[in-house]
Amino acid sequence: MAESPGLTPVEYIDRFFDELRAEVRANPALAARLVKALGGNVVFDNEAKADVANPYSLAAEGDRARFFSVFGTMKLGDIKKVLKENNLATRVDMTGKNADQLVDMMYTRASRKVQERKSSIY
Amino acid sequence: MVALTAAIANLKGGVGKSTTTVMLADGLAYYYGMNVLVIDLDPQANSSQMLLTEQGVQAASDQGKGTHHLLASFMEGKPPSAAPFVMPNAVTLEELRLAEEHDERKGWISSLPAHPQLRLRELSLEEEWYGKSGTPTTLADALAKHFQAAFEPLLPIYDVILLDCPPHLSPLARAGLALADAYITPTIADSVSTWGTKQFSDWVGKFVAPDLPSRNFVLITRFRDTKYARQVASDLREIYLKDRWFGPTIPESIHVLNAMDRPALDSYNTLRGKYAGVTGDVRRLAERFTDFMTQRTGVTWQKVRD
Repeated sequence: MAESPGLTPVEYIDRFFDELRAEVRANPALAARLVKALGGNVVFDNEAKADVANPYSLAAEGDRARFFSVFGTMKLGDIKKVLKENNLATRVDMTGKNADQLVDMMYTRASRKVQERKSSIY
Repeated sequence: MVALTAAIANLKGGVGKSTTTVMLADGLAYYYGMNVLVIDLDPQANSSQMLLTEQGVQAASDQGKGTHHLLASFMEGKPPSAAPFVMPNAVTLEELRLAEEHDERKGWISSLPAHPQLRLRELSLEEEWYGKSGTPTTLADALAKHFQAAFEPLLPIYDVILLDCPPHLSPLARAGLALADAYITPTIADSVSTWGTKQFSDWVGKFVAPDLPSRNFVLITRFRDTKYARQVASDLREIYLKDRWFGPTIPESIHVLNAMDRPALDSYNTLRGKYAGVTGDVRRLAERFTDFMTQRTGVTWQKVRD
């Protein structure tokens, strides 16, 4: 900021939002967090799904069709990545399973964890 | 042969008792083919959760398995017997499961799990006991006597029994400590853990095991390789607990903490998949603890896997 002392307040704000927009485009995980913080509903872009989609959060919604619409269209490698990064399956568990079986496993296990861990008092 | 009973205990919480319990059970079963029983006396039920998952802990409870049911049997004046409360299958390693599937069991883990109900039952028992003019010490003694008789038939079945104790000195915890042949003390290389370990050591040495040094196996866990941590670890070995057995220093591992969250009851992992960068430390822990067991029992062990 110091190198541009002549900018108006609006120009400063524009620059800030330009940077934010650029980061949101480049960083889907941050984008999803920001939208959630603002109370918005995240729509998953195909390429960003594996980085952004949270199987626990989607399982907690209890909407099996939406869960499958998000994860069922992912590539096999991305499904495995989500399973592994969310502690929903080990490499041993995934061996020999196709995409449908893995998404089914993801839904079953994530739903069970949510059921076991979610407080009954809220 | 009779199982060595080792209590994993420290007055301080958060030093890795449950993780150490599971890591040691895995290491002894995997490398030495030992038949391990993990008894969880901590109502937080963390090691039970790591072995059986939350679903498994609840299912075990629903089937009448667990230390809270053992405690209930004491409260109801039933004859002491722990065998009915044991879950015989708490294996999470693929190699152990496969060996079993091929009828060549080489190492096995069973669980006498805890459940959060354990603390409620213990509180109820305490209220009843103290209402009849009993004291914490007489209750701890009575529980120890009951447990000793209850565990007696299990001793020839297992090679090692690991008692995961809670981080306090409730009558139940004291009963567990009274039953142990050996004491495994996980600690962290920092000042508060060092002081907590000294308190625990002094208390056990005074009230439970005057010969504690020869029965104590100390393990520095979640080690962050800083100059300060190296100094504290060195002081523990050379000054504060210099007459104890020490296991390998276990580095902090986010991977292992994650891997302890078993995805499901039908989920298995290889030893390397579960422990990744600390697999060598698990092997060294098993080796060192087996040496310690040999010194305690006179029994020598051969590795069944490298």
